[in-house]
Parts: sequence; structure tokens; C-alpha cells
Amino acid sequence: MVNSNSNALGIIFPNSYDSLIPDLVNVRLMASIPFASRYRMIDFILSSMVNCGIDNVSVIVRNNYHSLMDHLGSGREWDLTRKNGGLTIFPPFAEKDSKPYTGRVEALSNILDLLRSQKEKYVVMSDTNIAVNFDFKAMIAEHIASGADVSVAYNEQELPEGVFKTQYNAKGLYYTLSLDEDRRVRKIYVNPRTHGIHNFSMNMFVIGRELLIDLINTAFVRGQVYFERDVLSPQLEKLNVHGFRFDGYLARISDIKSYFEENMKLLDEKNLSGLFDPAPVYTKIRDDNPTRYISGAVAKNIMAADGCVIEGEVENSILFRGVKITKGAKVKNCILMQDTVVEENARVEYLISDKKVTITAGKEMKGTDTYPLYIAKGHQV
Amino acid sequence: MAKEMIAMLLAGGQGSRLYALTQKLAKPAVPFGGKYRIIDFPLSNCVNSGIDTVGILTQYQPLVLNEYIGNGQPWDLDRLHGGVHVLPPYQQASGSDWYKGTANAIYQNLSFIERYNPQYVIILSGDQICKQDYSDFLKFHKEKGAEFSVAVMEVPWEEAPRFGLMVTDETDRITEFQEKPKNPKSNLASMGIYIFNWDILKKYLIEDEEDPQSENDFGNNIIPNLLRDNRKMYAYHFSGYWKDVGTISSLWEANMEVLDPEHSGINLFDDDWKIYSRNSGMTGHRISASAVVENSMITDGCRVEGTVKHSILYAGVQVAEGAVIEDAVVMGGSVIKSGAVVKHCIIAENVVIGENAVVGAMPEGETNGVATIGPGVYIGDGAKIGPNAMISTNVKDGEEQW
Repeated sequence: MVNSNSNALGIIFPNSYDSLIPDLVNVRLMASIPFASRYRMIDFILSSMVNCGIDNVSVIVRNNYHSLMDHLGSGREWDLTRKNGGLTIFPPFAEKDSKPYTGRVEALSNILDLLRSQKEKYVVMSDTNIAVNFDFKAMIAEHIASGADVSVAYNEQELPEGVFKTQYNAKGLYYTLSLDEDRRVRKIYVNPRTHGIHNFSMNMFVIGRELLIDLINTAFVRGQVYFERDVLSPQLEKLNVHGFRFDGYLARISDIKSYFEENMKLLDEKNLSGLFDPAPVYTKIRDDNPTRYISGAVAKNIMAADGCVIEGEVENSILFRGVKITKGAKVKNCILMQDTVVEENARVEYLISDKKVTITAGKEMKGTDTYPLYIAKGHQV
Repeated sequence: MAKEMIAMLLAGGQGSRLYALTQKLAKPAVPFGGKYRIIDFPLSNCVNSGIDTVGILTQYQPLVLNEYIGNGQPWDLDRLHGGVHVLPPYQQASGSDWYKGTANAIYQNLSFIERYNPQYVIILSGDQICKQDYSDFLKFHKEKGAEFSVAVMEVPWEEAPRFGLMVTDETDRITEFQEKPKNPKSNLASMGIYIFNWDILKKYLIEDEEDPQSENDFGNNIIPNLLRDNRKMYAYHFSGYWKDVGTISSLWEANMEVLDPEHSGINLFDDDWKIYSRNSGMTGHRISASAVVENSMITDGCRVEGTVKHSILYAGVQVAEGAVIEDAVVMGGSVIKSGAVVKHCIIAENVVIGENAVVGAMPEGETNGVATIGPGVYIGDGAKIGPNAMISTNVKDGEEQW
């Protein structure tokens, strides 16, 4: 293999952390949540993998995945329509013995036969709740250099508010790491509640394919569910688990408020380049025309995708594709998803409108910065 | 498997009257309307009309065009049978030849058409901005029992002498063809879009090739020959938006018309007739708090901190704080630095306009030129570029060009 190929295959878990934002995943899953004006959450990890020469990617879906299948199609936009490898979507009942999964152990046990038949030496695993332009090549290189059995990516940050609100085990698990000076993981904390800066796991792993098959096989027989809690954590003495520190920009979605904030943060040029400059991010093409600002439009501090028609006023907002802001309408501090229409003289503030929402003429709707209003897909106000 | 109709798209035009814009690319590859290239229009028309096989005849500076077309996927023209094919002149056992004229270009690719054995062939021009349903045109052709049809536009009588004109009887049958006549007998101008029955096209192309006097041109040779033989020839009236963007001023004007779809008739915001293009893959555009944007079109990847009025910004254009852009067409990847004033002009791709530079001017009395900056040019800080200038090499700081 020439060195553009990283000898790794990718596995993505698109349903992880769905429960943190029940509103947005009503008609979809974490991976297909719209983000940053023209993307879906999965675009970031998928593009990162492709940009790092990982061209064999499996997406193990659990439920509510129609929107994701529609988005990914044959994987062409990510250059994953390949004869060898390419994009594979695994539905829960893909094989006779498979069933919907709870944790990664079950998910991976459903595709063990596939894993066995591949030729790549390494496996890269990731969720989709983090929008990040991630350098998997660097992580794989460090994994090899450190001689570790498993590498886990983490960043240093305070735990987001969203995770404190979760009931133990009810809304998915999160992990922090205790590392020694060689960044070997000595302890994994499950759902910690302490404040301050943590080594916060990004739940992204590099592991040898053979080792992964062994670990999953054993764990599944023992009825274990979660890879970090049940497989790695008890075996930290035996397995060399290495922490890969990520210092770049990332946007982690942990609840609807952080979804709002992480979108808004991209209005800052520094954050925007942090997320998009390292390597291109690919997404499904919609063939919209350029966005049109008609006379009388006022736009200040916004990010907008193509296909919008703006005739009213809009400020501090993120506009997805095909949003229409009619004459006299005022939009401030909002996230308006695809094909939202704000009719004449309507006023909206701190609003997250899902796809195809219409705010009819003259209506006024306001959320607050700590609690943005959410309007579900297709609704007319 | 035979096709009912395939399209042959003439895209070899140099577009020499676009000067700096077409030095390195063929006219059909010239960017248009914010995120398109001219060729997106005929290609999208084909797909929207149900034509899935298109031969693109290239000759002049084909590299950009070839890469842009690729496998045709953005237009849904990557097909198992048919799809889009770029057809440059090629070497044959009998020798090789450049395309001598429009008819010769098709003649040299008769074997391409033969592979699909169509009933009809539509000949398209790759340098016009037009939204047209070719299936409607074909329906007309069939209803008339025609052997040849040409799409025509009514033009004002005083402009008629600039066009090739079709003189018709009351059934739209063509009785005479006048090429740029002094005394026009008709105001029906040929749009250069023809439907031929395949057997007729083949017969006349072969005959034309055998005539050493021929210029091998559809307008000058093939159409007169068809008339001579009293073939069944009809004129199909088209009344939508149509523009040959052959000159700097017409290209600028057509771009400006995109900003006013309500009056100009060129509506790119049409879900039933989408214009497809190869995507830039950039993020959504950013309008900063310091920006003023009025009556403009802006696409992915743009960063606007300055003032943009009545202008079109293509993918990835950056407008720094304090820069002013008005009545301008700014193509992909260009950077306008702070304090620069850019008016009534066309800025090609990847141009840098330095700080406080002035490019073009709003029309005033007699001077209404559209200043043009060619691709990749660097205009130095404080430089001045007059409204009639055509710049294709770098301009140093503080220098003036008129």
C-alpha cells in the first residue's frame, strides 16, 4: 500500500448519545443532526476518516436511521463509493443472529464476521456527537509508536453541564481518564460528577483488528455491554491503553443548549477555521442556488448556506439551506434548519427551528439564551 | 439499446471577445451566476428534459472544462449506457484534423452518434445562458413531421441584421434563411439550437464534407443545403430567457440580471428546473457584524466583512472590512482587501485586490466600461484600474491603468 492508505478501517456508532437531545433525534439520530449551516454531525468524522486514507467505513445503525441512510446514500460525496471497502451501513437485523444493541460490545459482536474477513491491521472507532476535524493519521502513528494495545482520544476540558443532568446509565455513559506521565491510561472513571478540568474521553479508539475481535468475543460471551466500562476499565493492568491528547477545535453536543451554543460559536472566525481549515468536510449536495439578499435585507453576524432568500433582518444566526426570511421579519440569535420560512413581520429570538418549519406572518416567539425554544420538524406556528 | 434523442454540445468556442477571461479556459467553462459555469445551463437542460446522452465537443483550452465535467456525476450524467462524453478531435487511420467548423466537429464524431443509433440529434451551443425544455422542442419537431427544426427567438427588428434569420410561412415552415442581412425579411433569430432526424443529419454532414468549398458550418452550409433540397424545416418559437454571453458587457449584464429574476426572466430559484453544477465543497458563507449586504447573491465559502451592494460573489470570495463592492461580479477565491473599492467590473477567479486599490467606476456619461481583471492577477495596494481596463498581468502597488 502506498502511504496515503492508513491500513485502518473505520467503524462509526451513529446512535450514541441520542438520548441527550431527545427533541432533535425525534425524527433522526445523532449522526444526522444538522450542524454548522450545511452539515450533519456524521460528516465531520466521516470526512476526517476519508481525509486520513481510511476508505473502508462501517456505520452500525440501531434505530431511527432513515434520515442517515438518505444522507449517506452510496457514500459518493465522501469518495466512499469503492469497489474495495467503501461505505457499509449495518442495520440491526442485518444477519440472522443480530439484534439491536445497547453498547459497543453488542454492536461490534454483530459484525464480527465482517471484521474477521477484512485485511486492515487497525480499527478506528468513533461516535458522532463531536464535530471535529480529526487527524486519525497522527493518532494511528502515535498508537504504533507508543506500542499500545489500544489508544483512546481525549481532550482537556471541564465536563459539560449536560452530563451532570443525566441519570446514571439512563442517557449513555461518559468517561474521564487518569493518565501516567507516558500518557498510559491508569484509571477510567465512569460518569464522574467532579468539577474542574478532566481528561475527557472523546470515545474515539485505535486498536488492532485481531485484538478487537478477541476482546469482543470474550466480552460478548460474558454478557458484557460497554467497551470502555466492561472491557477496558477492568483490564488496564493487562492492556496497554494509551491516551491520545487532542488539542484542536471540537464541538461536543451534550444537550440542546450545547447544540445551540456550539452552532453559535462558529460565528467566531477563529472557531470556524479551527473546525474547517485543517481538511475539507464533505456533505450531501443539494444543488441550491446561491443565497440571495434582496433590497431591504439586513444581515449582521450570520453564517448561511446556499439557497436562502433574505428580505428581512437577521442577526447572530445560523441559517441552513433554503431558509426564507420574508420582508419585515426579524430573526435574532436563531438556528433555522433547512427550508424554514419566517413570514412577514414575524419576530423570532433564541429559536431552534427544525426542518420545514413555518413561522406565519406577524407571530412572535422568544426563547432565552439559557433555554432556546425548539420547534419540531414540519410544524407551522 | 437505441436512444430516442441524444445531444451534441458544441463547446470548442474560444470566446475571444471575453479576452482575459478566456485566455486559459474555453468559453463554456467561464464561471457564471455565483456557483455555475456557462455549460451547466445546457447540461442541466438536457437532464431536466430527459436526455441522458451528451457528447461535448471540445477544442480550445479544454483542461478546465474536462476536469469540470469529469464523469458527469453532478448532472446525473454518469450512466451505464450513455451519459456525458467529452469528444476532442482525435487521430484516425486517415490522419487527424482539428475541428474545421461546427458541422465538421459533428462529422468527425458520426461514429459516436452511430453507437446510440438515435432517431433524433439535438445540436446545442455551449456558450449561452438559457433555461429551455428540449423535450418540448422535440414534441414540436415530431408534430410538424419535420426533418430539421431550429429554435428561434423574436428579436427587435432594428437588431435583426445582427442575427441569422429564419423566414417562415404561416405553418412555421422555413422558406428562407438570411445570415446577418442588411434588409431583414424576418425577426426570428436562430439560437443555434437544432434538432435533426439522424438520417438527415448524417446524409448532409457526409455530403458537406465532400464539398471542398464548404466552411463546414451549420449556418453557412448545412442549413442552405437543406433549403436547397426543399427539406421539411420548421422554426420553433422560444420566448424564455436567452443570452449569448459573448462579450464582457453581456456577461456582466447577464450576471446582474440574475440579481433581478422578477424582471429579467432568468430565475435560478426554480425547484422544477434546477441548474446543477460541481460543488465547491466549502462551508456556509459568513456575514460579519461589520458587513453591509444589499441586493446581492453570495455563496458557500464567502467571508464578508465589508460592504457588498448589487453584486455577485462566487465561492470562497473574501471581502475585508472597509472594502466596498458595487455592481460587481467577483469570481471564486478572489480576495478584496480593506479599503479597496471595486465597482461595475468583473473580477475573475483567484484575484487579489490590494488595500485601498480602486477598480472600475460607476458609469458616468460616456464612460460605461466594465473593468475586467483576469484570473490570478494581483492588483497592488493603492493601485487604480480605470473603467475600460482589461488587466491580465499583475499591477504594482500604486500603479494606474486605464
